[in-house]
Amino acid sequence: MVGNDIIDIAEAKISSNYKRPRFLETLFSLKEQQHIYNSNNPFQTVWRLWSMKEAAYKLYTQGSPSRFYNPKKFECFIEATFGIVKFRNFKCYVATEITLDYIISEARLKPLTLNSEVVKFNSKHLQNQSEFLKSKLIRSISKKFHIPESELAFKKNNYGIPTVEFNEIKKHISLTHHGNFGAFAIS
Amino acid sequence: MTKDDLISRLKTIVAPYVQDEEAFKSLTEDTDFVKDLKINSANLVDIILDIEDEFDIRLENEDMEQMLDVKSAMTIVTAKLKE
Repeated sequence: MVGNDIIDIAEAKISSNYKRPRFLETLFSLKEQQHIYNSNNPFQTVWRLWSMKEAAYKLYTQGSPSRFYNPKKFECFIEATFGIVKFRNFKCYVATEITLDYIISEARLKPLTLNSEVVKFNSKHLQNQSEFLKSKLIRSISKKFHIPESELAFKKNNYGIPTVEFNEIKKHISLTHHGNFGAFAIS
Repeated sequence: MTKDDLISRLKTIVAPYVQDEEAFKSLTEDTDFVKDLKINSANLVDIILDIEDEFDIRLENEDMEQMLDVKSAMTIVTAKLKE
């Protein structure tokens, strides 16, 4: 199982405003808020923590199929090189990579190195972006497991959780997109 | 406030975040913010804060948990307005 989440830094600057009243209090625990206020780059810290929470939520819902919105309760703990996210008695590890253009987090149940493949979109159109990302994912699985692309079926369950299926095998995957960037991860 | 009034006020709130205009045109109680309107999860918090401002209410974490579609938003707002 794997969850990932990407933040397009330029997009986050345009389409969200973390300084609006009650924004931070609604999404982040007191400790996380302190961490944000004390950091050298609050903008980056906000979106790093947000991507960690989202990646962890996607991983959590693969193990416990459900759908809800409670980012505040996915509490992030940042260590030197990796992060941990806890939600009730669920705990996972998160690797994050920050570039000038994007922030990407990937969550797994065990310590990990980030494996998500990042894609830059040419199209602004969401439907095209999503088709493009899916085709990249299918190609990658086909190569990795030596299975013809035509035998791979992309599916989503009632909760919107995606998998790729072939020969009775169900692979958990994670897809994410934001602004001009997308990424996929294969478990 | 009638149901139609409530839907139309919610429609105004979500409009700036919508990424699927076709689904937005045919918005009903059953419309899902993420699956149908393709609203980015990073913007769900903006919708929650906008709803709080528009109706002068405050939502608890538990209220937000199911705020993923028009119907749930209507139920929560209606309940809060009665408090």
